[in-house]
Amino acid sequence: MNTTTPLRRNPEDHPDPQSAPAASFKNVSQVFGDFTAVDDISLEIPAGRLTTLLGPSGCGKTTSLRMLAGYSQPSSGTIYIQGEDATRLPPERRGLGMVFQSYALFPHMTVAENVAYGLKLRKLPRAEQDRRAQESLDMVGLGHLAKSRPRQLSGGQQQRVALARAIAVRPKLLLLDEPLSNLDARLRVQMRSEIRRIQGETGLSVVLVTHDQDEALEMSDEMVVMREGKIMQQGAPQEVFGAPANRFVAEFMGYENFLSSSDGATLTVRPEHLGVVPAGTSQGPLGGLRLQGHILDLAYRGVDVLVTVSAREANGREVRLMCDIRAEAARELQRGDQVDVVAPTASLIEL
Amino acid sequence: MNTRKPVAAALAIVGYIVMLVPILFVVATAFTSGSTLRFPPEGLSFQWFDAALSYAPFTGALLTSLQLAVASTFLALAVGVPATLAIYRGALPGKGLVEGLFLSPLIIPELVVGLALYQQLIITFRVDNWPVLLLGHTALLLPYAVRVTGAALAGSDVSLEEAARGLGASPLRTFFTITLPILRPGIFSAALLGFITSFNNVPLSLLLQSRESRTLPITMLDYVQQSYDPMIAATSTLILAATMVIAVIAERTVGFAKIFGGINR
Amino acid sequence: MVHPRTLNETGYIHEGNRMTRRGTFALLLLPGLAFLIFGFLAPAMGILFAAPGTDASEIFIRLGEMLTDPYDLRIIGRTVGLGLIVTAVCLALGFPIAYILARSTSRWGGVLLALAIFPLLLSNVVRTFGWLVILGSNGALGQLLVHFGITETPPQMLYTPFAIVMGLTQLFLPLAIIACYSAVSQVDAGLDDAARGLGASRGRTFWDVVVPLSMPGVVVAATLVFAGSVTAYTTPYLLGGSRQRLLSTELYSYSSVTVDWASASATAIVMTILVVLVSTVAARIGRKGATA
Repeated sequence: MNTTTPLRRNPEDHPDPQSAPAASFKNVSQVFGDFTAVDDISLEIPAGRLTTLLGPSGCGKTTSLRMLAGYSQPSSGTIYIQGEDATRLPPERRGLGMVFQSYALFPHMTVAENVAYGLKLRKLPRAEQDRRAQESLDMVGLGHLAKSRPRQLSGGQQQRVALARAIAVRPKLLLLDEPLSNLDARLRVQMRSEIRRIQGETGLSVVLVTHDQDEALEMSDEMVVMREGKIMQQGAPQEVFGAPANRFVAEFMGYENFLSSSDGATLTVRPEHLGVVPAGTSQGPLGGLRLQGHILDLAYRGVDVLVTVSAREANGREVRLMCDIRAEAARELQRGDQVDVVAPTASLIEL
Repeated sequence: MNTRKPVAAALAIVGYIVMLVPILFVVATAFTSGSTLRFPPEGLSFQWFDAALSYAPFTGALLTSLQLAVASTFLALAVGVPATLAIYRGALPGKGLVEGLFLSPLIIPELVVGLALYQQLIITFRVDNWPVLLLGHTALLLPYAVRVTGAALAGSDVSLEEAARGLGASPLRTFFTITLPILRPGIFSAALLGFITSFNNVPLSLLLQSRESRTLPITMLDYVQQSYDPMIAATSTLILAATMVIAVIAERTVGFAKIFGGINR
Repeated sequence: MVHPRTLNETGYIHEGNRMTRRGTFALLLLPGLAFLIFGFLAPAMGILFAAPGTDASEIFIRLGEMLTDPYDLRIIGRTVGLGLIVTAVCLALGFPIAYILARSTSRWGGVLLALAIFPLLLSNVVRTFGWLVILGSNGALGQLLVHFGITETPPQMLYTPFAIVMGLTQLFLPLAIIACYSAVSQVDAGLDDAARGLGASRGRTFWDVVVPLSMPGVVVAATLVFAGSVTAYTTPYLLGGSRQRLLSTELYSYSSVTVDWASASATAIVMTILVVLVSTVAARIGRKGATA
């Protein structure tokens, strides 16, 4: 690894999307006894971008990250880092930077010693170690805490030190394992943009593991949605959210309404795209979806009201639909009312 | 103490009396100017301290006890810490069995272990007393070394070691720069506990002693059997003072309630 | 649903070069195992089968005698009996102390806890020696009794079961306190308040809430005290003398005075079985308590 490159990238120097991937998985599986944690996945991590591995707990995202970092090795398959086979390399020879969920700051070292640890191992001159450590700490806004001990810092500050320690070594890839899950809600939102900023400034290739779809949508250039050790969908956030590939991805992205189309496919529609009109009126869009039903429940939420409707599909099946409508539109509605649920054709997504 | 629980408070007072008052009596009789163990002591003097400190069998035994305690503590840690690492970090098959094996000397009565070593090594194989004492004390301290450092290791975060590896440290380097410093308080507790356990031991050393290698507690037992003078009280008081120093060190460094918390869990 | 053990399984070890890593770790175990085998396990086995100049059958014949001979049975009975008494006394005194310490909010609680633990660091010989001063013929207690006219001459207290019980209680009370303390301090003090709020008196709360929930600690305390009492040597030697012989003092005289290896081995076996039996039963009770 080239340890002499500056931490900040040249702003003119945009990553070329066509360039070689920062890392890739080829038919990688991880089997523990009779349990398959990762099931034959193939995946390319684009260079200079932030890629999230997203999924519920136990989907294999953390196992995949740990295989990439070298903390566990695949039962089969190959992992490439910058085009080279790294499958059998121990973690210390991969040149990556990792931020752990628990931050894993060394309690017996100061903040500066923590950040300089990787540089010391690379045998950089002492002055260069200090300069680099300070530069990394400045980048995360903690330059003034260099002499502190980790236990004197708040959770958010510890998180930043862990980040500084990982970027100080100019890693080939920066790996973040649920980095925000131990922070309180306000700090979490703040750290999202902080991590984006650091990624932008350094131009690092970042892989972030999370179970939070909002976090993934907000932060990613590329999203990889996983379930039970398999990749369900990969793409830009707009693609994944706008066109979920299957019901699992749709549900994970917050879609709640699932309908059958006339040709047997599954359709989904977001609650805010559904309208509720009194039964038999002609209100609502022409064409599109119109189903008869009755109101099961109304949940008042301030500006809007969440209406739960039990509707009957064309094939006679009862479906429960969540309709998110504006409070004024719900003023006349009551539990038990016969209503029509309507939606424009453009809002229906076929899975 | 809470006066609204009269029965509990009364029992507690009796308990503290039984635990502590005999120790006070030892100290009080050590300063007597008389020559018999009687109470109240006759006059005040330090003569029995002088006697104890210049009594060759005691000073010789003290040296033996100190050597034995230091050597066996060092050995138990030197073989116990690597074993602890293997048990708690190695993901070896049969972890429970190995752990049980290392803790097993706690279950067998020390007197029985002493008899075993005496019969097999000293009588049958004619091994010298000193190496057998060292072997026995090391086996006795191994469970403490494994349990106390094991608790420290179990309480530490595995990702610390992983983080060091990820930053470029080899497994050996990770052990010396990360694992060992994190374990230091645990190892220190184990050392303190080991030293005291070995130094105070009677049942294990009892059958393994010889004229050349006799420990202090056993020498004191033999002495009490022969004569009943206050020199033994003076010696005991000196041991008490040294033990208090160790307790203060323990409290200042790792907190001594913690050391014993490790044994009884 | 996906298996819940994904994360636990991704341990420190590297799955692929697992064999070499395991080899390294196994190597780290070797010195310790060598010490255990040569310094403990192999000699301990020798007690059963290979006492010097004795064969296994003699040992087992002697063991059979020991369990039928009235003299030997009296010693076993005395050892077990004193062990049970000491256990009962230590629980009766140790649990209230643990309870008061665990519920104390004042800084004296910490001092009293330290005072209860400190004797564990102190040599058993030193601790037991104090009883010679108190119970001896010129001792403090005897003179006190004479002084207050309770007896005319100081009664014989040394070399009695009473002396041994006092000495062993002093030795093992700290163990009982620590074991009970860690159990009682895990019982939420809010439960006491809840019981009081429902109308239970202070005493009822103690017996209905605190004691049952601390049972695992009480079982641990009882095991430690009993096992310690039936194997202790220093105390029965100093305070029991030749009149109050116990298994431990018998074992010593068989092996170093009369040099009767078969008897020494048989005594060691009885003592070991006693301790292992009690520990096993206690562990079973503890486990049952934990799942109940």
